[in-house]
Amino acid sequence: MNLTEDQILTLAPDESSKKSGKDLANPSKWVSRGASENALWGECQGSGSKPYQTQIDTANIAFKCSCPSRKFPCKHGLGLLLLYARDKKNFTVSAEPAWVTDWLAKRTEKQEKQAEKKSKPVDEAAQAKRQQSRQAKVSEGIDELSSWLKDIIRNGIISIPEKGAVFFENMSRRLIDAQSPGLAGMVNSLAEINYYTEGWPTRFMDQVLKIYMVIEGYRNSADLEESLQQDIKTRIGFTQNQDELKEQPGIMDTWLILGKQVTETDNVTTEKFWLYGTSTDQYALLLQFIIRGQGVQFNLTPGMFVQAELVFFPSAIPLRALIKRQVATDEVSHFKTLDNWQSVAEIETRLNSVVPFRTERAFIVRQLTPVQYNQQWWLKDMENNIVPLKTDYRHTWKLLALSGGQPIDMAVVGMEDQFEPLGIWQDNAYKIIQ
Amino acid sequence: MEIWNTIINTALMGTDKKQISASELPAALGEYAPLILENPAKDKEDKFLQLSALLLNYRLCGSKPPRKETSLAPAEAEQKSYCNEGGLEVLKDILIEDNFHLLNFWLKHCTEKQVIVMPELVPVLLAKATEHKKLQYLVADCCGKRGEWLGKLNTAWNFSSTQTGEELWQTGSFEQRKEILRQTRSIDPAKAREWVQQTWSQEDAASKTALLEILADNSSSTDIPFLESLDTEKGKKVKDMANQLLKQIPGSAIIRLYEKLLSESVQLKKEKALLGMMSKTTLHCKLPENIDDAFYKTGIDKLSNKKELSDDEYVISQVLEFVPPVFWENRFQLNPEQIIDLFQKDANGKKLIPALVRAITRFKDARWAIRFMEQSQVFYIDIIPLLNDQQQEQFSNKLFDRYPDDIIQYATRRKSEWSIELAIKILRHAAKNPYQYNRAFFSQHIHLLPVHMVGELERCTPPEEHFRSGWSNMSDYIMKLTSLKIQTIKAFTT
Repeated sequence: MNLTEDQILTLAPDESSKKSGKDLANPSKWVSRGASENALWGECQGSGSKPYQTQIDTANIAFKCSCPSRKFPCKHGLGLLLLYARDKKNFTVSAEPAWVTDWLAKRTEKQEKQAEKKSKPVDEAAQAKRQQSRQAKVSEGIDELSSWLKDIIRNGIISIPEKGAVFFENMSRRLIDAQSPGLAGMVNSLAEINYYTEGWPTRFMDQVLKIYMVIEGYRNSADLEESLQQDIKTRIGFTQNQDELKEQPGIMDTWLILGKQVTETDNVTTEKFWLYGTSTDQYALLLQFIIRGQGVQFNLTPGMFVQAELVFFPSAIPLRALIKRQVATDEVSHFKTLDNWQSVAEIETRLNSVVPFRTERAFIVRQLTPVQYNQQWWLKDMENNIVPLKTDYRHTWKLLALSGGQPIDMAVVGMEDQFEPLGIWQDNAYKIIQ
Repeated sequence: MEIWNTIINTALMGTDKKQISASELPAALGEYAPLILENPAKDKEDKFLQLSALLLNYRLCGSKPPRKETSLAPAEAEQKSYCNEGGLEVLKDILIEDNFHLLNFWLKHCTEKQVIVMPELVPVLLAKATEHKKLQYLVADCCGKRGEWLGKLNTAWNFSSTQTGEELWQTGSFEQRKEILRQTRSIDPAKAREWVQQTWSQEDAASKTALLEILADNSSSTDIPFLESLDTEKGKKVKDMANQLLKQIPGSAIIRLYEKLLSESVQLKKEKALLGMMSKTTLHCKLPENIDDAFYKTGIDKLSNKKELSDDEYVISQVLEFVPPVFWENRFQLNPEQIIDLFQKDANGKKLIPALVRAITRFKDARWAIRFMEQSQVFYIDIIPLLNDQQQEQFSNKLFDRYPDDIIQYATRRKSEWSIELAIKILRHAAKNPYQYNRAFFSQHIHLLPVHMVGELERCTPPEEHFRSGWSNMSDYIMKLTSLKIQTIKAFTT
């Protein structure tokens, strides 16, 4: 495990944890420190009478601590990992103590139990009945949504900005009742459009048309290929059984974590990890939903390489994946780049022709230079093709500072005419921009 | 794409008012449009949405990035080398801690070592410098060519440009002009005054007042002609500020006027004492008759508002404050010790001592300050900053137990680190007054705490049980800040 301080700090749940974690990255704070092939552990004297026992599964980057903090990872976990990253000599290499082996064993046991749970027979009749009932509800919801969209189109969208968020929230709630959370999210995103900026009618219509394509696709699913049917169901909000999915064969590769995007809505934090498979040249998206106070399934930090087997969710253009198996790696692999924006456009065209309502993707593009044009920042490729940076991109100055006006290989995420840099390569090292 | 505009215009108006015809669609879609438009099972909204969806896909699939010959002149290559990894890690910690003084400390070391920060840290430092203007020159120095380049792209950061001081004075923002004037005044006071004189006629009243305020630092007799010429200024605030400065410069007309009045008002007289067996020298204070009313317009009140001072004494005490102490040496042909002794022993002189102290501090007379500290029975805290570091330490330690808060107040204004002895005294006092000397206090004054203090923190623990836990937390905090100082020193000495 070779993580830099910056990479470790991106695991922190908030700024204060970063600060406290850094304070604890000091040998004097730890009564004992140890390391083995699979784990790190330490005892930190806190305010309690007994020192807190902190342990880290280094193969899967998982944390456990006996402190009462609800943050995850807690400051002790971060501090211990930072201390290890700063100087491994601070840790005694030895056999894991009982409290660490117990935890590691429990983790393995839990994984096995999950595997057993998968093998339990399901009541197929009840399942079919549930599915039927849900499909009926979804169809009803889709009919209402279709009428709602048509009303908007009939009356004209010019009055939309005056309607306010409630107009969209009402429809979105109705779709939640109709067990179509995906569509509800798509409707909610109409409320997030900035109606005070130029070009809002295009942004509004783009989203309306994507919703329309999803609902029409659902109504005509029978004529579509199974993989595309899956894409439609996913956009509507049908979930995939992840345990079943994990049983499918995956793709083993050394994946580079290109970037992490975090959003928070209603106490649920959504983490999006953009991955690049260094051997397969394939991109993947891992999603993690964290409900406040609960632990996380996995910890990945941008810039790190993980050797893992990923299983992709069924799709005509697979992107979203989950980790089936992960092993520790210190390997630093190479990457391939797309030559220019034209190559990106060609891939996008192919993807759009398969799934016209698709979402954004990551790309690694060769030698991009930030340039200013029409009072806006753009990314220029070696053929002078330019693509604008996302209007709300917050790290333009850091990007400029790193580039110094020189072209650099860059990982970006976005689609059509809006891209956001995730990181760049400089001196053979990947640097995250956040 | 023209057709997309048609879609948007139709959507804005609504399908009740406008429809799209097949003829408006691109030829490439000619094959599909009739399938939609001629479908009797679909209403006009469905037809519009289907056509629009088709066009959306057509737009997305045919999207090509524009080609523009736009370019950006790249940043120049750096001339200095980058700071080592350890130094950069400390800098990141200091930035997280958001401590101005530690950042200032780090930047000074970086500048002295003639190294620069890595490019990714340049924007955050430039942003800090817009927040803390005093850091601008250090930040510009530590950000190298990359900082200069970013300054050209972001006007808020253009303090990192390579303009000379004079260019900046002539063309910079008012904040930049004030900063460069302040710096020039401290190293070349005459040049700073010349700059102000050159642009004086173009400044507005508020700017004039602000610039004069800066000239208060390092003022000298060479400023007198300029300041006295401001008597014709229209703005009252400008005139008042100029007069205030003139009252600080020995040899100015106003000070000469005050000296003249004191020569006429304060006399030494020998009187007999102990039934005529001995004689003693006393101070006689009496204002001359017929003082011109113009005299009182210089800011001197006629009537006393202090019961212990008569009107004459009150006027004399006000004037005395604006007369350099050296005046008394010439006037009485005595040395400072003898004069202080005279003031202390004389009933009238005693009343004038506070004004004499104010004169010592106003004219920053270190010679008188040390004599006063040694001889005075009363402790005048305002004198401490006039002493050199060693003398300040000596008197601060000596008087700390009697005036702890006053001594701390002045100790925080010092530019050099406290001695261990004084630091221990301050920490011991702070440990017992946690509300007054809280984290913010130590955060602001960490640059004054000697790093060797870390080992002494435990010794400062108060004996009172109820203070102990608070002090333990505070010690941890002080230790953390001190550790950042130590790491900074280490990073730049290796």
